Amino acid sequence: MMKEFDYLKPSTLNGAHNLLVKHKREAYIFNGGTDLIVRMREEITNPNVVIDIKGIENLHEISYKNKECLSVGACVKLSEIPKYKDVTEKYAILTEAIHNIGSIQLRNRATMTGNICNASPLADSATPLLVLDAKIVIYGKEGLKRVLVKDFITGVRKTILETGEIVTAIEIPIYEKPIIGLFQKMSRRKMVDLSTVCGTVARINGEIRVALGAVSPTPVRGVKTEAFLRGKVLTDEVIREAGEIIVTDISPISDIRASKEYRLDMAKLIVKRGLVHIREGQLNWGEQSEA
Amino acid sequence: MKYVGKSLKRVDGIKKATGTLKYVDDMKFSRTLHVAVKGSAHAHAKIISIDVEKAKNLKGVKAVITGRDFSGNSCCKRVGLYLEDKTFLAVEKTIYKGEAVAAVAAETKKIAEEAVKLIEVKYEELPKVTSARKGMKKNAPLIHPNLANYKYAPIFFPKPNTNISNHFKLRKGDVEKGFEESDLIIENEFYVPPIQHAPIENHSAIAKMDSDGSLTVWASCQSPYAVRRALSVAFDIPLNKLRVISPAIGGGFGSKAGTTLEGIIIPLAMRTNGRPVKLTYTREDEFVNSFIRQALFAKMKTGVRKDGKILAMKNEFIWDGGAFTEYGVNIVKAGGYASTGPYEVENVWTDSICVYTNHPVAGPYRGFGMSEIQFGIEQNLDMIADELGIDKIEIRRLNALKAGSHTSMGEKLDMCGLVECLDIVVGEMDFSKREKSSKPNKVRGKGVACVFKAPSMPTNVASSAIVKLNEDGTAHLLVTAQDMGQGSDTILVQIAAEVLSIHPDKITIKTGDTDHTPYEWQTVASRTTYCAGNSVKSACEDAKEQLLELAQIKMGIYKRDLELEDGHIASKIYPDRKMPISDLALGLTLEDGSGIHGPIIGRGVFIPPNIRNADKKTGLGDKPVVFWTFGSQGVEIEVDIETGQIKVLEVVSCFDVGKVINPQLIEGQVEGGIVQGIGSALFEELIIKDGEVKNDSFVDYKIPTADDMPKMTIKFVENPEETGPFGARAIAEVCMVAAAPAIANALHDAIGVRVKTMPLTAERVLKAIREKKSN
Repeated sequence: MMKEFDYLKPSTLNGAHNLLVKHKREAYIFNGGTDLIVRMREEITNPNVVIDIKGIENLHEISYKNKECLSVGACVKLSEIPKYKDVTEKYAILTEAIHNIGSIQLRNRATMTGNICNASPLADSATPLLVLDAKIVIYGKEGLKRVLVKDFITGVRKTILETGEIVTAIEIPIYEKPIIGLFQKMSRRKMVDLSTVCGTVARINGEIRVALGAVSPTPVRGVKTEAFLRGKVLTDEVIREAGEIIVTDISPISDIRASKEYRLDMAKLIVKRGLVHIREGQLNWGEQSEA
Repeated sequence: MKYVGKSLKRVDGIKKATGTLKYVDDMKFSRTLHVAVKGSAHAHAKIISIDVEKAKNLKGVKAVITGRDFSGNSCCKRVGLYLEDKTFLAVEKTIYKGEAVAAVAAETKKIAEEAVKLIEVKYEELPKVTSARKGMKKNAPLIHPNLANYKYAPIFFPKPNTNISNHFKLRKGDVEKGFEESDLIIENEFYVPPIQHAPIENHSAIAKMDSDGSLTVWASCQSPYAVRRALSVAFDIPLNKLRVISPAIGGGFGSKAGTTLEGIIIPLAMRTNGRPVKLTYTREDEFVNSFIRQALFAKMKTGVRKDGKILAMKNEFIWDGGAFTEYGVNIVKAGGYASTGPYEVENVWTDSICVYTNHPVAGPYRGFGMSEIQFGIEQNLDMIADELGIDKIEIRRLNALKAGSHTSMGEKLDMCGLVECLDIVVGEMDFSKREKSSKPNKVRGKGVACVFKAPSMPTNVASSAIVKLNEDGTAHLLVTAQDMGQGSDTILVQIAAEVLSIHPDKITIKTGDTDHTPYEWQTVASRTTYCAGNSVKSACEDAKEQLLELAQIKMGIYKRDLELEDGHIASKIYPDRKMPISDLALGLTLEDGSGIHGPIIGRGVFIPPNIRNADKKTGLGDKPVVFWTFGSQGVEIEVDIETGQIKVLEVVSCFDVGKVINPQLIEGQVEGGIVQGIGSALFEELIIKDGEVKNDSFVDYKIPTADDMPKMTIKFVENPEETGPFGARAIAEVCMVAAAPAIANALHDAIGVRVKTMPLTAERVLKAIREKKSN
């Protein structure tokens, strides 16, 4: 059963920051709450102070900024993101991932910022954000700073956030050329389940990018796989080889959901299917089949 | 017929759809105390000491109990439905992890939970039994060393000084001779893991003891009378002082058939001066502390002639009964006596063995053994057909029980609609045709299974009903058959409406109160339409008889020429001559003003006729069960051969239910059974490692969602059950049984691999594909 706690709801970022500084480790940020409340009920997380940031108005904004990026405010609900103009067209890999997080009810509460700050190895929105080079906007004592997603999550449920810091938004660069890519999720059950393995394979700015979830302590980019694919034509052989190399980018474990071996197999398959999708997509776009 | 056979709306529909029906957890009493339970930290350990002092001294704590002071003396009484092996709190030792060792009643749930944390228990760990197959061996650690002293119904066979709580034997014909005459002998092993019922409503109970020593228990339970009986024995309370009320049930599937948390709160209620004491299980508790389904390891040896005729079967079924098998021993019996499946086999040798383990308590689950055994039986049959090069439908037609056949227990069947059902399924689904799949990495396949089930109940279980006619011509129907979602309230009202010839809206059904609704053994075993239905029919016929008796005086028409018609008593010959039944509801008033008879109250009782115990040594009998429901299902699946993921596309189902009382309700019930079957086939497994449940929540225990629903075609055959109300038989459990084996058979049809372990997870299927490739 949940322990007692104080519930505070500041209306400004600075107010929230000051509360976090004051209460330090006693305090937890309460956004969508779909992870926090579950953990509090299970007494895994036992905050004395819960700071609800949903009273801060500008955290609810979603907009395109200066033709540079899509900025998704920290409190924007997951279900709102695909509805915003052109998001689904521009970032299909992201909206597909969002569609695979939890249930409709959950997506009406949960936020993308929460999904990232929760820093689960299998966060579904993490792999598209990784390949999109999305940046996390952090408010702290020195004002705003921006950090790449890959540098933000540091371990299982660990981020670089320091006392008093609040994520205000996630910024996703706008890419001129259409993105061809595929988000894939392997799970025991198709709907309302955690990923056994998830991943995004996409061609962005002329290069192929790969990210996988639930195969390492954090969601990861397939650095070696990407290096291998650079400049290569996506022949069957190249795709097969990429599927072998991805294994060296990841370090899955066996757990209640799947064995290490199955995760390796699925990681290979996600890469293979993603690359085949890109190859077909390129043909459809009338482009050369060069990566 | 006017009301039977019609898709009447559910009588409990509005309250359920609007959320206004009050379940036990919704009930509010003033000054309620809340309970928290201390679960054991070990799967098998001697309890050295329990220190409850700190908990007792916590402000707001009103009572603390442990197994030691359970019933006023040092050792509490063991109880159970068939074998009295169960205690509600651990006594002297704990035999599964999470078993209640102590409980606290306090002013708030929070205080109770804090108090529980203050209870210090010292254990001395004992060697565990974590596998039924190992547990049945001679040198295994004993979980119930006093088994020899336990009371049990004489139709069971516990083996003292072992972990075997029931060894059921079926011995028919000469099995060795059968094997000798066989052209092919095939041996197989199958494993079905434990699963959990996952009803939407968690178990909940409230107990209140009045100053005169009478005890009331509100519980979400399927069987108020069986619960009353068990609690009466456990706590030495006479039945007239013990009242069990089951106001509403949000799904049971067997998990609410016996007693569970009631036994924990009662000793607390005895110590709290009349204050109500309440406990509602969490979902995590459901997985560990209610009931789970018994795991089954099945070994099958089958001898067949080259035309596919089965000549002999030798089976060994080893069941994981968990810590207590008071209920489970009967599942083992049912699985044993049905061990041929719905086929005629002359020579059968089956050992069905119930084994104690240090696992959560296994007990009744929709299907009662049939799902577990038929997962193997139906795959085994397909494998035989493959080996002999025979069509899978034909081998079933050839071996199927038919009118005049003898079942596994040697009982002769007067009637059997199995082949009829199979033919309808085959008519709806073309098993000879392979459908094209949507993608190159996906392959489609079809599978079929034939199944049967008898109500697994003692030979003499009773039902009763009372119908009271009101002075406006409406009626109250009183029964203790419980509607837990299956729709029995509506079905029983339809039966009453038909006999009384009044609209169902004019009948109010009242259930689940042992002080006010008449006896019903249990709402289990797919028996309610049949057993409770017969008692309702008989009660209404009794009321009708009383009405006609009075009407013949009033109307001057001999009663054989009278009938009930739309709220009236009418002449069969001159329909215009009629009088409203409301005029006779309180008796007949004669012309001189004097009255006779008094209120019309119909009384109906029922016991299934002429069911006799089977022979103890052989398990054979001429009428051991009341009837069998037969049926068949076909499924089409699509397999992703790269991930191993199975998607069920379509299910065609046909059962011989005798008579469909409500088409819409029965269709819903079968759909539910199919989907529950799909869940067990594809996702569900309670993972227990070293005595600890590893997936006690929906995060890692998956049941189907709306997305997993296949296209379903639901058909019925109606060969009437002679003794059933309007010919009705049963459907509730049997409709779940076929899905899993049919899916496993479809998998083999699709890609040629056999998975003999449930569930058919993507990983397991992919592994089988790889193994096949490497061979």
